[in-house]
Parts: sequence; C-alpha cells; structure tokens
Amino acid sequence: MKKIIIAVLAVVSMSFTVNAQIDRSVQPKPGPAPQIKLGKAEKFKLSNGLQVIMVENHKLPRVSASLTIDNPIYLEGDKTGVSQVMGDMLGNGTTNLPKDEFNERVDFLGANVSFRSNGASVRSLTKYFEEVLGLMADGVKNPKFTQEEFDKVIERTLEGIKSSEKSVEAVASRVENALVYGKNHPYGEFITKESIKNIALQDVKNNYNTYYKPNNSYLVIVGDINPSETKTLVKNLFNDWKKGAIPPVSYNVPTNVNTTEINFINMPNAVQSQVAVINIVDLTLGDKDYYAALLANNILGGGGTARLFMNLREDKGYTYGAYSSISQNKNKSAGIFRAGAAVRNMVTDSAVVEIQKEINKIRYQKVTPEELKNSKAEYIGNFVRNVQKPSVAANFALNIARYNLPSNFYEKYLENINSVTLDDIQNAAIKYFRGDKARVIITGKGIDVLKNLEKTSEYKINYFDAYANPTEKPAMSLPIPKGVTASSVIDDYLKAVGGKDKIANVNSLVTSSEAKIQGMQLSLVQKNATPNKSSVTVSMMGNVMQKIVFDGTKGYQEVNGQKKEMAKDELEEIKNTAAPFADKNYKTGSLDRIEPIDGNNAYVIKHGKKEVFYDVKSGLKVKEVKTAQGPQGEVKIPMVFSDYKEVNGIKFPHKIIQKNGPMTLEFIVKEIKINEGVSDADFE
Amino acid sequence: MRKRVITLASALLVGLSANAQKVEFEEYNLNNGMHVILHQDNSAPVVTTSVMYHVGAKDEQPNRTGMAHFFEHLLFEGTKNIKKGEWFKIVSSNGGTNNANTTDDRTYYYEVFPSNNLELGLWMESERLLHPIIGQEGVDTQNEVVKEEKRLRVDNQPYSRFLENVKKNMFKKHPYKGTTIGKMEHLDAATLEEFLAFNKKYYVPNNATLVVAGDFEVKEAKRLIKSYFEPIPRGKDIVRSFPKEDPITKEFFAKAYDPNIQIPAIMAAYRTPSMKTRDARVLDMISTYLSGGKSSVLYKKLVDTKKMALQAGAINLSQEDYGTYILFALPLGDNSLQSLVKEIDEEVVKLQTNLISEKNYQKLQNKFENNFVNANSSVEGIANSLARYNVLYGDTNLINTEIDIYRSITREEIREVAKKYLNTNQRLVMEYLPESKK
Repeated sequence: MKKIIIAVLAVVSMSFTVNAQIDRSVQPKPGPAPQIKLGKAEKFKLSNGLQVIMVENHKLPRVSASLTIDNPIYLEGDKTGVSQVMGDMLGNGTTNLPKDEFNERVDFLGANVSFRSNGASVRSLTKYFEEVLGLMADGVKNPKFTQEEFDKVIERTLEGIKSSEKSVEAVASRVENALVYGKNHPYGEFITKESIKNIALQDVKNNYNTYYKPNNSYLVIVGDINPSETKTLVKNLFNDWKKGAIPPVSYNVPTNVNTTEINFINMPNAVQSQVAVINIVDLTLGDKDYYAALLANNILGGGGTARLFMNLREDKGYTYGAYSSISQNKNKSAGIFRAGAAVRNMVTDSAVVEIQKEINKIRYQKVTPEELKNSKAEYIGNFVRNVQKPSVAANFALNIARYNLPSNFYEKYLENINSVTLDDIQNAAIKYFRGDKARVIITGKGIDVLKNLEKTSEYKINYFDAYANPTEKPAMSLPIPKGVTASSVIDDYLKAVGGKDKIANVNSLVTSSEAKIQGMQLSLVQKNATPNKSSVTVSMMGNVMQKIVFDGTKGYQEVNGQKKEMAKDELEEIKNTAAPFADKNYKTGSLDRIEPIDGNNAYVIKHGKKEVFYDVKSGLKVKEVKTAQGPQGEVKIPMVFSDYKEVNGIKFPHKIIQKNGPMTLEFIVKEIKINEGVSDADFE
Repeated sequence: MRKRVITLASALLVGLSANAQKVEFEEYNLNNGMHVILHQDNSAPVVTTSVMYHVGAKDEQPNRTGMAHFFEHLLFEGTKNIKKGEWFKIVSSNGGTNNANTTDDRTYYYEVFPSNNLELGLWMESERLLHPIIGQEGVDTQNEVVKEEKRLRVDNQPYSRFLENVKKNMFKKHPYKGTTIGKMEHLDAATLEEFLAFNKKYYVPNNATLVVAGDFEVKEAKRLIKSYFEPIPRGKDIVRSFPKEDPITKEFFAKAYDPNIQIPAIMAAYRTPSMKTRDARVLDMISTYLSGGKSSVLYKKLVDTKKMALQAGAINLSQEDYGTYILFALPLGDNSLQSLVKEIDEEVVKLQTNLISEKNYQKLQNKFENNFVNANSSVEGIANSLARYNVLYGDTNLINTEIDIYRSITREEIREVAKKYLNTNQRLVMEYLPESKK
C-alpha cells in the first residue's frame, strides 16, 4: 500500500497544545494532516474480454459485485426503450431456473440481485456470496425472454410513463436532454408510449444478443473475499460467457446554440419552476484542464458554500438549493454543464438573472485566492474522507481501466488539484460555462411566470411541449368555470366585504388618505353618498389643489381655482362610480377572463373603459385599470387595492397604489367614516 | 447449476450462527446531564461528531407546526463566535461535510471531518448549543428557504402528500397528526420570542446526546469534550405528556387528492404501538414478509401473477409514541381500488389464520441478518444509530442486541401480532386520487 502525506490540509499546530483553558472565541486549528492509504485492487482479464477488479476488505462479513458493460452509446430510434425493457426482463428466471425459484432463492439468502441493460449488481453476506454470484452469472448468460414476461414489462413501462406524466421534475429532465443533445443523440432520445409500443419480443432478444456481451465489460468485486478463490470462482462462472461483435455507432455530435435563448415548457400544475442554464462540454476524465473545471464548478455551484447557493438561497431565499454541475464523458461533446434551481413561480425571472449573473462573474473575473484555497480544501477533504472505503478503491481501478488512465492517476490526484491556479479557473470557466451560448430551460407554470420573464429577459423565448416539440406560447388566462358571471363575481365581492345587508345601510362614506409625492405630503378626502354623489379633494400642505365634484346629474373639476364643467362622457362615467360600493354597477359588465396577479388568480370584468379585478379566492377587489386618452394616445392607469381592514364590520382596502405613467402614488387610508360627516353641501 | 444450488442450501443451516461484527462503544454523562457516546474505529482517518436532541415536530405547539424543523435551519445561521454565513464555509474549507435532519421525534446534527479536525467539530457543536444567534434576519431568510423546501419535496412531487393525509386521519389528538415540515401560515405567525423560548426549553445539554465516532484518541477526545461542553449550563428538566389516542374500533374512510398524479393509490392504515415495543419489531417482519423482494407475498400476487397493481407494499412507520402500519397499492389498468384492498385483505387474513412456512420464516431471518450487517457499514451510520438508540430507545446497546430480538420472534408471534393489530375494524381506508377527480 502506498502512503501519501497530505501537506496541504494543514500546517502543524505545534507548541501550544497544553491543557490551558480553551478559548472558544478562536476557531480551533487542525492537527497534523492524517496519513491516507490508497486501497489496492487486483485485476485480471478473461479470454472473452471481461476485466475483473477485486478489492479485499474484511471489516464486514459481506461482499458486493457489480458488472458494467461499457459499450459505446447507440441510438434506439423509434424503439427507444428497448434496452430498458431488456434490462427489466433480465433476472426474471433463466433457462436453468424458473422465475419464481430464482426470486425465491435470492430473497431466501437475504441478498440483493439486480440486472439492468448495461450490467448487474449483487450484494450478500460472505457466507452466501458464492451462490449469489452464481445466480448473477446465470442471469447474465442464460436469460429467459418469454412473451408473458415481455407483455408484463411493456404494460408496466407504459403505466410508469403515465405515473410521471405530471411530474415537473421528470418532464424537465426529459426535455432538457432532448433539447441540449438533440433527439437524434443517444442521450437526447427518450421513451414514449409510442416507442414502447413499437417494441416486439424479438427486438429485446436482438438487443440482448447484440449488446449484452463481455467484450467491453468490467466485473468489480469488493469485500470479504479471498482473492485467489474468488478468481477461480469468477473464471468458473464467466469463462463461457460468449463475446460478440458490437456494431459501430453513428449519431450527431451535439453542438451549442449560437446565442443564448430561453426554452420554456408549460406545466400548469407546477408550483416551482425548474430553471437550468445548460450547455454541452467536451471534457473527459484526465483532460489537462479537468481539475480546473472541477474546482471552477465547485466555486460556482458545487454545494452549500458555493456562489449560487449563497446568492439564490442564503441571500434571496428563492430556493431550497441552487447548484451547478459539470459532467465529463468519454464520448465526443457528450458532457454537460448545468446551473440551476427549483424556484417558486413568482421569482423565476429573477432566478434566471441571478444564475446568469453568477456564470458571467466567474467567467469575467478571477475568483479570490481564498475561494480557490477553500475549494481545494473541500476536494482534498472529500478525497481523504472517502479514499479508504473499499468501494472507492474499486471505483478508482475501474476508472483507470475504462478511461485508459495512467496507473498512478489517483496517487497524483491531490497534487493535480493543488496545482490549479486562479488563471486556470478562469480559463476553464470561459471554456466550459457558456453563459453566452446556453439554453436557459425553464419548466414551469406559464401563466404565473411568463409575464415577468418577458419583461426582464433579454433572450428570445422559444416554447416547447413536454416532449420537446416546438409549440406556441401558452394561453395567459384561465378558462372561466361554469356558472360564474359578472353578476356572481360582484355578489361574491359584496359578500366578502361584509354582506349586502350591511352595505345597504351605508348612505355615505368619507375616506381620508395620504400619500407622499417628491417628499411632500398629499392628502385626499373622498366623499360618496347615495344614490350617486361624490367629491374628491386633493390638497398639499393645507392648500386645495384639485377638486372633483358630482351631485348626481352634473359635475365639475377645479384645478388651482380653475373650474371646468364635466363633459358628457365624463358624466356618464362618474355616474357609475359615485355611490358607495358602486361595484354593483359592474354587474352589467362582461366577465372577460381569469388572470393571475402576483401568483393569485383574479376574475376580470370589463365595464366601459375599465377592467376590474376580483380575487378568485377571497372575492375582494384587487385592481382596476382605466384606459384613458393621453397626449400620446391611449394610456392605462392601474389602481391596486390591498391591506383590507374592517371598519364597522365592513372591509375596506387601506392601501391604494395608483400608477400614472412613470409616477407611482401610494395612498395609505387614515380614516373611514360611515354615515357621518357628509352633507349635500359637499356635492355643490 | 441446479444441483449446486441444492448442495449450498443445506450448507446454509450451519452458517447462521456466524457472528456478525459487534460495535464497541463507551458512554457517560457530563455534569450538566449531556450524554456522551464514543465509538473508536481507526481504520480510516475520518471522524464524525454529532449531536441528537430529543426534540421533534411532536413537541411543537399545535398552532406552530413546523417549528422544530424550522429551528434546525436557524441553527446554521451562526453563533457568538461563528459569524452568519460562515458555518458551511468553515466545514468545507476544513475538508468536512455536514448536515442535519428533523423527524417528529428528534433533531440530529452532524459533521464528518478528516481526523485532524476533531476539535473543530466539537467546537462547532458546542457553539451551536451554548450560544446560537437567533435573529429576525435569519428567521426571514429561512422562512423563504423552508417554503421552497416544502414546494420542492411536497407540493411539486407525485405521491408526496399521502403520508400527511394518512397521519391527519389516523391521529386526532396526538401531535403526530401534523407533518414535520408543518404549516407555512404557522411559520409566518411565529415570533422571534417563540423561537428563543423553543431554544431555551429544548436545546439544553440534558436533552442532548453527543457522539464521537471514528479515528481519535480516547483520552484526548474526553478532555476536549469536557472543555467544550461541560461549561454549558444545564437546562430545566423537560416534561413530556402527549395526549393518548382513542383506539380505532370501526373501519373509516377518507379521500385525498394530489395534482401531480394520474394513477390513483389505495391505502389501508392501522394504528400500532411504539417502535420500542416487541410488537413493532414483529410488524417490521410482517412488512418484509408482505413486500420485501420479488418473492414477497404482495409483490408476487398483485404485481407479478395477477397483474393488478403497478406497485404494492407495506410500510411500518415506526415512531416513538405510536406506529402506523400502511398497506398500499397502485392499480394497473382498469383494476379498481376496492379490488386491490380485497386482495390485500386476503393475505392479511392468511397471516392471521395460518403460520407462515418454515422456509419463509428462515427467509425473514436471513433478510434481517443481512440488514443488520449493512446497517453498521459506515462510521457515520453507526454514529446516527448510537444516538438514536440512546435518545429514543434509552438503550444504546440495542445497536448490538436488536438483532437478537428479531431472531427470537417466532412464527406464532407473527400470527398473533397480525391478529392483534391488522383487523379491518382498526383501520383507515384512504383513496389517494388525482386532483382532477375532485
């Protein structure tokens, strides 16, 4: 066993370790770096090509074995899923042992045995391992593919597709791969109901006979073994596994988009959006800048101390976790860089901005020496914590074999991590984190998300369905449920504020509110009386600036002492709004749609030049938008109502925000008087 | 092939007595009541420091559900000597990893470091207990984070609400009726004072068990533990008195809805006793008999032979005060939920009437033996088990002896326990349906 001393983790804390009182205000320094030993693996190869890796460890009376068939990736096309179905059928009995007996035996031994399209795994107590590995070998070499089992697997696969149809995560992951790799790439194609229905039993047999071969395979055995006995066992069990000719493969090498774009997938049931910035990378284990890429990713989004997490979770609280990852791959341009998070609907657009900001920052500015130092320490600590696990030693040996790496690859690993510089990090970030040529893939609820996304985003938005087909932008309003009309919405509103009876007793209202404009106090007193009289007085620092008065038939507007009679169309409009709770007049309007406002759905009633919004859940009025003729054409003037509080048992909004062009006025209601303080003189 | 299997089978009967590994440990109390457990394993230069507090969601006020879990988040926000935002950085820049988790019964915090950082791990845990900084700013950020955690793990996940709905129906009085993540409006309403009071009541050394496991020197570790933890003042004794549930005497029905599913599910839930009881372990065996592995009764019958279900299984949800035993199935094709219940019931009745076969009994024993070996396969896992057995079961050595309980369970006991708890008049039957069926 080779010993390595890590010089990095710590410098010594020599002299002052005496038994003085501890000073808890000082963070304890690490002791001398521990020595680590890389586990040793034994290897041999059978004549059929199967490579065997063994790691001996007697700590527990158990052994595990794992078979990996490392064929080049290939396309399954209109029968996508055939290899998965084949893998699912393996282990359902063999030509030697019927299915029920096979399963019964595995369970009886308390063992785990599983098969998949590109391998198999077993785990058992030492005392049963010989038999359990025998069961695995039998399943690998002598599978039984019957029509009955085939039909079952197909039916279950189809139901499985159905069971995840509404899963936002499942859809996101499928579409992400399909868009980034392209549907004509082994990693981009995906299973559908149709592709599963295209598969026949013979296809499954062909798949097994073509690809389930020892040529490119590795068998890794770890645990309480005697290597020479295990070698004999493996030879006896696997020598007669016949090798085959694996066909050459061809598929399109994936490329990145020319300029970053948003790809949006609408999922109406989503309460969070899956946001991911993704691009293809061409990176393989052992590449010269492999370590720099790992560290750069670690600093950007490798965990709970990385930039993405600190920004999107700890600072903004958008998400439970934001991370990035970079994957290496043996195949040309088949690795992926992905930075993303699951965020609540309302902050989807902001999350995109922040993720892109962090990607750009690590590309255009060097990371700090401290970040690099901490990141290295994290990698080294991780290595130290895991390196002595037998499964890790086995994995190292497997990687060395699969990737043709030098035999001292992992002995040099820490050295290589340590030699990465600040420049290396930036170069790797520029090369691999393509914020400029990425797909920003968002899977979420369009109606909640898109309005803001269109507003904030500089990127083009392309729409896709749950199967990665281009599609139209989703409808931005919801269908109106049966039986709901403008009249019923208004009835619900009246009920929500206190009920018709209470409102019927209201003959007059005085509402006093205040707002600030350019640092100065603005006071507004609004009086309304039945049947339809109203007056509004706006004053600043005690001086009346504006007055609008309507007595039920005629009215005027007075600005700075200049009086102007209301025109006919103005009179028409004010007639409808002058009375207390004039909303009942909107019953004659039309219920246009349901539209979300800040994540809550509202009914929208169109009445004349106005649109009035009532919250679907609470029934309360949340917004009014008036269309008016301005000097530059039509303008929309929105008023937003919130902070409802009761006065004499009736709910009134106590915060009213009015927007007029670039100006926003926030009125806070100070006082509301019911049936007092109003006389006819107020409307003269 | 076949011949070999048979010869080996006879060899099995001899093999069973082979002794699995024993977990050696030492335990003692500090003067302030904190319990300490040491488990030395110098085979790799790694050390785990962890603390389990005997506080979970069931200790919350009924109008403040989610408090315990929320509090777990808050205790990463910083301490008198660890600035806000520094916690994770200290851990990772020293080569460590850390996390925490909360259940209805307890809260667990841990760090795993290369062994030269034992003192750092102890310092951090003692800081967390002695003087965490709990401020409005941290409360506000973590409020959003916890809401996202709920959206991620519950609201956006298929079949994620079933446990919540089972518990809500099964428990009328005991706080197990709520969920660990809690209600968001309760968290919104919680005040800073309430968080501080929660800390003062439950985060005290006499309510905590510290575990150090892995590569360390015992004498030095004891000295450090004493230095860092003994000065922490003892808290008031905690008195727990949870309301008792009335027994279920009549079968009752409920429905629950999930917007993220297409295929419904059916569940039958039975009230069972505390996980500390022998009966709870018998029920563990029964769930393995019913649904552990491809040769198990429910899988073989419903999924494989009759092709009525996409999935079928049994869950023995073991908790400190009560257990909940849940049988469930997802139908395949047009099979009705009721037909699945009928099939499951048939198997339960068989269990109540006949003894399981000797062979099936031996199979169960082999499975539990295998679980036992694997349960103690990592030092981190051992640390967690030691803490759990101490805090929740009051017997740390169960880590070595629990397997003896399973070994001593007889076929007759399996039948009796099935008869005692798994009757139709003792259960809830819940349909778990797609939201669109509402």
